[in-house]
Amino acid sequence: MRPRACVPKRLYFSLGLLSVSIIAFELVLMQTLSIVQWYHFAYMVISIALLGFGAAGTFLSIFRKWMLEKSEVLMPLLMIISGIAMAAVIRIAQIPFFRFDCYLLFSEASHIWQLVFTYLLFFCPFFFAALAIGLTFLKFVNEIGKLYFANLVGSGAGGIAVIGLIWLLLPQQIPAAISIVPVVSGIISLSKKSRALVSVAALISLVIIVYSILNPPRLELSQFKDLRRTLNLPEAKIDLEKNSPYGFIQTVSSPALRYAPGLSLNYRKDLPVIEGVFANGDWLGPVIERKNSDKAFVLDYTTDALAYAMNKRERVLVLNAGTGTGMLHAISRGAKEILGVEPNSALLSLMRDELSQITDSLLDHPSVSMQNIESRTFLSMDTSVYDLIKLPMTGSFGGNAGLYALQEQYILTKNALSEMWRRLSEEGVISATCWMDYPVRKPLKLLSTIVEMLEYDGINSPENYITAVRSWGTITFVLKKTPISSIEAERVHEFCERMSFDPAILPGLVQEDRARFNVLQDDDFFKYIDEILSSEREKLYSEYDFNIRPATDNRPYFSQFYKWQSIPNLAKLFGAHALPFFEMGYLIVVLTFFQILIIAVVLVILPLFFIGWEGGHILRTLFYFSGIGLGYMFVEIVLIQMFILYFGNPIYAAAVVITSMLVCSGIGSYVSSKIKRIWDYLSTILVSIIIILFLYAIQLVSILNWSIALPLPAKIIFAFILIAPVSFLMGMPFPVGISYLAEHSYRQVPWAWGINGCVSVISTAVATIVAVELGFVWVMVFAALAYSLPLMSEVEMRR
Amino acid sequence: MLALILSLTFAIAGVPSENDCFIRQRQTMVKTQIEARGIEDKATLQSMSTVKRHLFVPEKIKNSAYDDRPLPIGYGQTISQPYIVAYMTEIIQPKPDSRVLEIGTGSGYQAAVLAQIVKEVYTIEIIQELGRSATARLKDLGYKNIHTKIADGYHGWETKSPFDAIIVTAAAEYIPPPLIEQLKDGGRMVIPVGSPFLIQTLMLVEKKGDNIKTTSLMPVRFVPFRRSN
Repeated sequence: MRPRACVPKRLYFSLGLLSVSIIAFELVLMQTLSIVQWYHFAYMVISIALLGFGAAGTFLSIFRKWMLEKSEVLMPLLMIISGIAMAAVIRIAQIPFFRFDCYLLFSEASHIWQLVFTYLLFFCPFFFAALAIGLTFLKFVNEIGKLYFANLVGSGAGGIAVIGLIWLLLPQQIPAAISIVPVVSGIISLSKKSRALVSVAALISLVIIVYSILNPPRLELSQFKDLRRTLNLPEAKIDLEKNSPYGFIQTVSSPALRYAPGLSLNYRKDLPVIEGVFANGDWLGPVIERKNSDKAFVLDYTTDALAYAMNKRERVLVLNAGTGTGMLHAISRGAKEILGVEPNSALLSLMRDELSQITDSLLDHPSVSMQNIESRTFLSMDTSVYDLIKLPMTGSFGGNAGLYALQEQYILTKNALSEMWRRLSEEGVISATCWMDYPVRKPLKLLSTIVEMLEYDGINSPENYITAVRSWGTITFVLKKTPISSIEAERVHEFCERMSFDPAILPGLVQEDRARFNVLQDDDFFKYIDEILSSEREKLYSEYDFNIRPATDNRPYFSQFYKWQSIPNLAKLFGAHALPFFEMGYLIVVLTFFQILIIAVVLVILPLFFIGWEGGHILRTLFYFSGIGLGYMFVEIVLIQMFILYFGNPIYAAAVVITSMLVCSGIGSYVSSKIKRIWDYLSTILVSIIIILFLYAIQLVSILNWSIALPLPAKIIFAFILIAPVSFLMGMPFPVGISYLAEHSYRQVPWAWGINGCVSVISTAVATIVAVELGFVWVMVFAALAYSLPLMSEVEMRR
Repeated sequence: MLALILSLTFAIAGVPSENDCFIRQRQTMVKTQIEARGIEDKATLQSMSTVKRHLFVPEKIKNSAYDDRPLPIGYGQTISQPYIVAYMTEIIQPKPDSRVLEIGTGSGYQAAVLAQIVKEVYTIEIIQELGRSATARLKDLGYKNIHTKIADGYHGWETKSPFDAIIVTAAAEYIPPPLIEQLKDGGRMVIPVGSPFLIQTLMLVEKKGDNIKTTSLMPVRFVPFRRSN
């Protein structure tokens, strides 16, 4: 029988606070794990941890009666325990015995056990918090609409709140700060019955939390992270630290730290020592010491200087300017107007203040101006023309084992190059440098992107507009607005001769000149270049062992080169042990998917042994709650991806989408509780959701492109208006479904909630794989199709 | 009683010692991983058969020492796959009177392999802890012609230059100009390029007068990366 209980008002507030802490902790955990390991490993660990929600549903299904009996004590106690867990887990994970290193997972078996332990550790805070939420839903299921509202609105607020915390505190301090919130929520939810026991627990937890705040754990980075390896250098020390939603920035100095990517072997002077800048433990860029009086610049001796060797460049645009190296180079080559675009405001603040002495106040130089905005957003708003548009360097020396395969790189899509092309003056050029890798991937993909963009713009002889120059390690492509002149071609030859570089693409180039100074044992590279420049490139795309098709805004994963059908061949050539190090990022997502799927299946099936296998009702419940779990997360993920380009900032994109979706869904949930016989309208609601999502799939990109030039406040409002209607509707099916189950099959309520939790986690991995393989539009289509599952269940139930 | 005597006999004579195990593994390594992949230089093969690689890896992964893969040795460094070590040794064309500089001592294994062949090996390690442990290890193993230094490898070892060959295992985004200077005319420098657990190319630098030429070598047996469908 379904219990009818009156919800104490304080419980809504308590539930909302707990939800704030869960989302905030999840985001902070993502940052912390990205610092000590890499983003995709953070994603994997957190995905497993979030199965705590699904496990809570399973636990509640099995121990429902006992938990309901003890609910007055358990609810606050569980909240407080989750707070203790949040304060403690990161410290425990840093203990050497438990600490894992993702690079060593594939070479030392002990790290697999350490990874499993890490999963269990981070699982705890989410499990206990989810138990508290689930128990609240179960006990007061008659008010599920309002409770779900509190849960969703709290979650939305958590996303915003953590952004503020990240600006104010160091990463290792934030978990303890957040852990106060669930303890407070537990105290608020105290009833007279539970006061004594829970008060003791609250006191103990506050002691632990205060200790954690005053003594935050030391974050131990993987020994293979750039920062950790740099700190092994003699006299290396961290000079500055600044936390922000863009990442935890640290600067390092050492007399052994230098920077000169692909330096010409003809350079015989001393290399300047630099300050290194890192974000989340990964190399971000150098801060090169330069006085305005310096005549020469070390980058003059790299392939990066090609554009300047061809012609004078008066107006220079440096996209993703980072630590200003490209701008320093432009100054040294006499550019009169240099505009740098850099979205990372924390980095800019450092460049302007603490680091300005090293660069001789680069940002205050009369020729230099800076825009703190995402490069693509800038390009869509800007109407100026430039003599040189400089892209940031692609890849890294020695590669990064594909750890950034799933990083959206909107600056390296065909669409991006097209926008840059339109900003070029008559003699203007775009310059892009990347590291040579083997098997060759990045240079070929960069070239195919350039060539296809030109073709799309009506240019059928791309070889007349492109030149490329190769050193022992790097290759620079220069794309000109008008055909390369014979004088410029001559200058390219002279530059190569002076520097011992080799031209790879140049009008009138002979084959022998392509490898005079830097020979490639596998000179098929030149054949591939020629095929890409010709009409044969489709054949190369399909036959080559790696994905070298251009990235697009719909699939902006430039560094994703994997082709599944190539795995057997690569394993044969390089050995199976080497495979993970080719494209680790993508493999991790696939591995995550399988891990989550196996665990989720167990969590979903287990309760059935306790609640019974009631034939078709079980399947309907399964499809209904799976569909809404899948669909909701697909929509959230794909909207965040699409709005990253729109807002030019992943932080704003995530904050606006998550907050808008959760708040509007919360309102939808609340309204659903006020409508009598809401069940009668469920089909209409679901059909409306499906239609809107299909419309999104067809039109959303065009709508966003049309409005991308609006000022930021207007964009936020516009985004909210776009997201609100479907989110409002999407907030209804869950509480309506739970209410239905409460009336007809109360035992299934926690199970349904667990299904929703499990499937939500699975959907994040699935959405990522679909986005990589098919593009964002298809993720939206699958979201729409997912909502057909609850629709079919609803229709079946009516029948 | 007879059973006891028999089992003791087996215990003494029949169970292979740890040394025997590693000897067999080393021989298998040379045969299947190195010779089979086209390494022909006799001195290199002899050296790879002699140097006890298992003494150069951390104790807990000793049993994997002769596997066909790189292994971690701490501080974000690895000991290269045996085949890569052999390839780099062969490619610098070491001779009995050669003087070789190594940048990045690491475990000391590459230096030990070279020391079996050449006259003198000078090896520099920038990470103090690694440098110290490698120095101690090489001394314990009795290598008299290996000279170690803990320093920034950027500057090379000017007082001992020029060198017939240079191996730069701790590769960076640039080739330090002092190393080019310290390479003899006609000398060879080799630099493995790739992520720590996946070396993809070996870059050979050859100096002839004022001319410097580089060649990207593919240690993986060359097969094109395209298949006809």
